[in-house]
Amino acid sequence: MSQHSPYKLSRRRFMLAGASLALLASKPALAAPSPVSVVTSYPDEFVSRIQAAFEKAHPEYRMQTIWRMPNDALDYLKQPGHGGADVYWSASPRTFARLADDGIWQKIPVDRSKLPRHIGKTALGDEAGYYAASEVAGFGFAVSPATLKARQIPLPGDWDDLADPRLFGLIAMPVPAQVGFAPPIVEIVLQALGWQRGWGLWSEIAANASFVRRGSTFVTDEIATGRCAIGISIDFFVNSAIANGAPIQFIYPKHTGLNPAHIAVTRNAPHPNGAATFVDFILSVAGQRQLAHPDIRRLPVRPDAYTGLPAGTFNPFAIAQAGGLQFDSDAARPRLTTSAAIFQQMLVEPHDEIIALWQRLRSAEAAGKAAGEIRQLLGTPPIDEAAANDPQLQRQIGPRLEGDGERHLAAPELAWQATCRANREKAAHLLSEIGA
Amino acid sequence: MMLRPLLLAALLAASISLQAAPPIDREALNKPLPGLSADETERFQRGRSLFRQSWVISPAKDSEVDGLGPLYNRLACISCHAKNGRGGAPEKPGERMESMLVRLSVPGRNAHGGPLPHPAYGDQLNEEGIPGVPGEGRAHLHWHQRQVHLSDGRKVMLRFPTVSFSELAYGKLGGALVSLRVSPHVAGSGLLDAVDGRTLEALAAEKKPDGVRGTVNRIKDAKTGQTLAGRFGLKANMPNLRRQIAGAFVGDMGITSPIFPAQNCTPAQKACATAINGGSPELTPKQLDDVEFYLGNLAPPPRRQTDEPTVRQGESLFASLGCATCHRPSMVTGDYPPNPRLSRQTFAAYSDLLLHDMGPQLADGRPDHLASGRQWRTAPLWGLGILATINENTGLLHDGRARTAEEAILWHGGEARTARQRYVRASKEQRNALLAFLDSL
Repeated sequence: MSQHSPYKLSRRRFMLAGASLALLASKPALAAPSPVSVVTSYPDEFVSRIQAAFEKAHPEYRMQTIWRMPNDALDYLKQPGHGGADVYWSASPRTFARLADDGIWQKIPVDRSKLPRHIGKTALGDEAGYYAASEVAGFGFAVSPATLKARQIPLPGDWDDLADPRLFGLIAMPVPAQVGFAPPIVEIVLQALGWQRGWGLWSEIAANASFVRRGSTFVTDEIATGRCAIGISIDFFVNSAIANGAPIQFIYPKHTGLNPAHIAVTRNAPHPNGAATFVDFILSVAGQRQLAHPDIRRLPVRPDAYTGLPAGTFNPFAIAQAGGLQFDSDAARPRLTTSAAIFQQMLVEPHDEIIALWQRLRSAEAAGKAAGEIRQLLGTPPIDEAAANDPQLQRQIGPRLEGDGERHLAAPELAWQATCRANREKAAHLLSEIGA
Repeated sequence: MMLRPLLLAALLAASISLQAAPPIDREALNKPLPGLSADETERFQRGRSLFRQSWVISPAKDSEVDGLGPLYNRLACISCHAKNGRGGAPEKPGERMESMLVRLSVPGRNAHGGPLPHPAYGDQLNEEGIPGVPGEGRAHLHWHQRQVHLSDGRKVMLRFPTVSFSELAYGKLGGALVSLRVSPHVAGSGLLDAVDGRTLEALAAEKKPDGVRGTVNRIKDAKTGQTLAGRFGLKANMPNLRRQIAGAFVGDMGITSPIFPAQNCTPAQKACATAINGGSPELTPKQLDDVEFYLGNLAPPPRRQTDEPTVRQGESLFASLGCATCHRPSMVTGDYPPNPRLSRQTFAAYSDLLLHDMGPQLADGRPDHLASGRQWRTAPLWGLGILATINENTGLLHDGRARTAEEAILWHGGEARTARQRYVRASKEQRNALLAFLDSL
């Protein structure tokens, strides 16, 4: 500091501050914690809480976060040395499965003998024991009771309630091919109702819906502001918004499913002890209880972590015991990209046309006109179920992971566009024939 | 067999979220100003997404949000401003600084009149480094106690921190000047940005009671050479919201921008200098526009319980005790072409945005442009009553030492000494009324 400084009078204090700093810096240094490098795609409000809780429980370790969307984490973890990563912790079952196929994981290095392996038909990890479920989330409906009541529409209890024509323009739905958590939603309905009926229902729901794209509004915003009355969503977004004051409710439909998130340790983890300690913490009661925080609101994967949670907390173990949660997420997994792509070509891209055709169809039916064939045309997907299950077709559509951006359409998708267009044109023609 | 469907239906019905709404909306600091158009709402949401985004180490497929580091403190804006709220200090040595940071410098000034960065560590301790780049080190807070007595004999235990360092990766800190900073909440930022510099000059020129002065920090713009009135930052060392945002991006996350295009590496940090970056700049002009739009259009924190007699009594005491001399209950914005809805608005941030000598006990001894080592910008008090509900670990004053508004008052010195003494001498009822008023902000 120059002698001409306007702070001259304070100089003495600066020196004192410096002296005090030097004194403290010369104290014996605290032992540096060992690092645990964790690759994740969780939002920071989740990661930060887990990080703080883990480091509080295990001050001998320091969690280092490497943030990667699943599509990016895949390549990162396949690098030699896994990019220094010890643990992958994320809600992307497909990424865990693919990396297991690539031999990236070691067997989960903690005792899981007391942890359940299933909730309903949802597996809590892979059979071989390379990755374990760390939390689950359920799908359902964010609702605005006030908006529905004002229109005298009852609260929805299952997916078919969303086809109610009075809900026209009042449903918000994430685009399955764009929004990371959304592809299983398509499959829940298909598994519950079967291929043909399921797509028929999706067509009707799409006619009532506004689609929410990646990076735009939140479904919860649409409901809380009253722009829509029902939002199709995954529970933690909605339950967190409710816990933070949003005037909405979340309803788990009769046919719902769970999306498991997982944790795994890399085969050549540079800090194996830290990795095991982190996994053990995440799966422990203490770690699982963190999930109940209002900013997280995910569902624990061990029954004892539900003890003491507020009344009304959705307990998937109890629901499964009563016969619910029959959606098989493992069975759905190979087809998720394909069904999301069909949804895109059949219902999202031509959304304006779909809405207009359903409006005409509903008017015709209200007038007592027979329109069964038209209904059939609008609800028929471009391929049958056997074709959708064909692994070769699934390969052509390509592996899509959370975080993948826009891409060129594969040849089958171009063909689906044409098939769907032909169905719509025929439906439009038939509607004209019956004067609708 | 009928029992199970019935049981299932009953369980599902019971699971309809019955959670009672919290007494305070924890998203209160995340609301847009009223009247945004559809396009503006979309822009606001884009900015919100970026503010919530965890940044990615380069190279990455997520090329729009890569470039974290090479040296950094946290991954996302919301890491420090969780739910757009205020941060706090670690409770003990060894605990991570989740929402606070350590400013560093050495005596002297840089070419623009600001603090002279430490030659090896720069102007901020970045605790984290990307793989291959050692983080700079760790700062540890050590708390010390100090008791004060109010006029009715009640004792209040205050705490204050000293700092030590470990794991220093780039050599000794030597006689560095150190200043601790807890992250502020960000709601209402647009209104602060829209205050005309001449208004601040006029406020500074006003004659004030109790020996209160108040000065404007002035910042020279490196590109235009223009001198601007500072208003953001705890020492008002940032002249506008855009620069404040860009400064936080580069300082806290190592994300370069059109305003700060250089990576935050010192000559001593070789691995940092050669690390792969996420583009030049990493935060594009459009992304910076969107974040600025988001923060600039965040509604100010809502007032509560304004009609309660105790709150009204407290409001009156706030003025009569002398608090309102600096924590001004009313300010008016100027003409603000970037966002006309903010032009000529009267608002209540409870700040004059001026620098005041706060006495030796709060001094950090680290000058910053025209701010001395004893001066701090008057902290805006709006939102004070809801901060602790929004974020569990919330600390007041620059280093988070004050756990309550009362503790913060009792730390006031310098130009605020008279007001503090009036508080100490006030009756218990008066003090409670004042605190009720502060809690309503």
